[in-house]
Amino acid sequence: MLKVENVTKYYDDNLAVDNLSFEVNDGEIFGLLGVNGAGKTTTFRMILGLIDKNKGNITLDGKKIDYSITDQIGFLTEERSLMLKLTVKEQAIYYGTLKGMKEKDILKKLDYYLEKFKISEYKNRKIKELSKGNQQKIQFICAIINDPKLLILDEPFSGLDPLNVEDFMKVIREFRDKGTSIIFSSHRMEHVELFCEKLVILVKGKSVLSGSLKDIKKNYQKKNIIIDASVDENILRSLKGVEEVNKVSNEFIVKIKSDKYIKTVFDYVKECDNVLKFSVEDASLNEIFVETVGGLYEE
Amino acid sequence: MKNKLKFLIKQSLKKKIGTKWFKAVNIILCILIVAMANIDRLITVFGGDFNKDTTVYVKDNVGVYDYLEPLFNETTKTVEDLKNYKVEKTDKSLKELKKNIKDTDNIIVEINSSDTNYISSTITTYDALDTISYQLLSNVLNQTKEAFVIGKLGLTENEIIALKSNIEITKKTTNPDLKDNAKAKDIISSGLIILFIVPFFIFITLLVQMLGAEINEEKSTKSMEIIISNVPPKYHFIAKISASSLFVIIQGALLFSYTILAMLVRNLIGGLFGSGIVSSNVSKYLKDIINLLKDSGIIDLLIKGLPFIILLFIVNILAYAIIAGVLASMTTNIEDYQQLQSPIMIIMMMGYFIAIMASTFDGSIFIKIVSFIPLLSALVAPVIYLLGQTTIIELIISLIICMITVAILYIYGLKIYKVGILNYSSSNLWKKILKSLKEK
Repeated sequence: MLKVENVTKYYDDNLAVDNLSFEVNDGEIFGLLGVNGAGKTTTFRMILGLIDKNKGNITLDGKKIDYSITDQIGFLTEERSLMLKLTVKEQAIYYGTLKGMKEKDILKKLDYYLEKFKISEYKNRKIKELSKGNQQKIQFICAIINDPKLLILDEPFSGLDPLNVEDFMKVIREFRDKGTSIIFSSHRMEHVELFCEKLVILVKGKSVLSGSLKDIKKNYQKKNIIIDASVDENILRSLKGVEEVNKVSNEFIVKIKSDKYIKTVFDYVKECDNVLKFSVEDASLNEIFVETVGGLYEE
Repeated sequence: MKNKLKFLIKQSLKKKIGTKWFKAVNIILCILIVAMANIDRLITVFGGDFNKDTTVYVKDNVGVYDYLEPLFNETTKTVEDLKNYKVEKTDKSLKELKKNIKDTDNIIVEINSSDTNYISSTITTYDALDTISYQLLSNVLNQTKEAFVIGKLGLTENEIIALKSNIEITKKTTNPDLKDNAKAKDIISSGLIILFIVPFFIFITLLVQMLGAEINEEKSTKSMEIIISNVPPKYHFIAKISASSLFVIIQGALLFSYTILAMLVRNLIGGLFGSGIVSSNVSKYLKDIINLLKDSGIIDLLIKGLPFIILLFIVNILAYAIIAGVLASMTTNIEDYQQLQSPIMIIMMMGYFIAIMASTFDGSIFIKIVSFIPLLSALVAPVIYLLGQTTIIELIISLIICMITVAILYIYGLKIYKVGILNYSSSNLWKKILKSLKEK
């Protein structure tokens, strides 16, 4: 289990991370969200011991993270951290050896993952000759080649098409099932929503929202009502508690301030003709994120 | 962790010497060095005008041809480059002979008696007489004269041997540490500087550039983050310094081995000092230099000081590598690094020029002080030691000072390196460096 307790980091006088705390249990996927410069990468770097923290504690299974246990950690950086002149095989051996692995084991794992990601033919190709997406796959393979106990993924899906995102997610879920603690950051809320169990949203280094995704969504007051009926859009807008009405195809998406206004909307819709759909849904993570971060970010 | 360090050193070294460019450059270097050491043989192999048969027509008006012919044949038989020379006695008139040699390399030698010098000679050729032919004829004619006169005097064989032998000269000096010789100094300041200092200069330039490029590449690709998350910066720093220094040492050793190979090839294809006219000029020069260095005591000084000179080179290489590593860690791209490395180049240039000037400013206190300064000591200390301006003790002091400096550079350099390698911004750089130096 990864435990981050009251961690604070200053760069000179600038506060980068402010008293941040969270836990990632074994077999759990944890999302670290925030806009650019929110302190996500700094937090990752502190977890890895790349930079010193000013205050707080970070432990993995109760042990302080130092070079005696970094072999159990897998790390995928936001930018491509690959040596472009090396071949895929050389790169995997390079990073695998630094994780304390033997060459024989590295090559076995490499063959397995190359097969899994359907890129076996690139084994002896130079990294620079690969497409951006394939480079990201190699980087991901290098991060997981040591079967890490803690997997840190900084924007793992950048540069990937939807099919590859799905392949990545499959592997990440496999690691979760094996008991790996996974912490990742992403700007793509739909990805986070798809497989994240817990998350923290950072604004200027400070946690502004944290907990399980389910609870966050549940506790978020605002809801969306999806309506497929012959309604008057203007009347909908004028109803008490309605914040916004959008028409997508034949459906209306009505955003309401809280669930107490569901009845108001329902009372109007039930009087209308052709009612095919009236569905109340939680706000998306993207909406929660924008709502939570937006105002604070502008301050 | 030690295995990881070994792996990093191996990888870094592999990057430098495992490339096809390294192999290609070394093959070219090897060929060039072997060719340069055997340039006289090469000239001969490819031939030219000097390869044509040359007949020397001797018009003997004195009666010395019987002395001249065996001497001529003996010389041309033993000297490889003269095998195409033939000698022939002639009674033809000069006018007719001159007609005969038109558009040829043939030579007319007319020998007449001389009141003051026993014999005199006139050499006639169609074109200007080349140096090789002139040397051959001059030697043969002098020997002919000698044989002619000795024959006239009726000396015994032993008297003739004693007469011809060189006078024995014994050189002595009173300074126990130095055997002064102005010409030897010239050789050191010109020849040895080219032989030792210039390669050192080139190697350090290579080292500085390679180290900077490698660290900047790792920084710019962010692979540094992956590496440092698995290996402490200290090990990464040691790996980079060691690999670069090893590269320089390996390249130096390779160059040395190419020189040995060149000498072996030279020896194999006609003796180290050769027997041809072209070769004998080179050989004479080489022999003279070796004798001069031996007589002046420089060879003895070199043998005594060589281990310390080699150590001084290695420790200075380490000093340059540490500085280059630290500078590379501070910069965020190769362009910034190239600007930052220029002071290192200027320091080396200073050392180079001071080393050159050392023989001119014999006994200069300034140059002596410079020889103790790390980074400059590798360029200056060996030269002034071989010139006899400093003793072996002073050479050792230079080495010790440099070792202490390397230790200090490493301790403080590592502090900067730790911060620098993960720094991607040039803002407040100096503030960050000063802060890192204060950290324990």
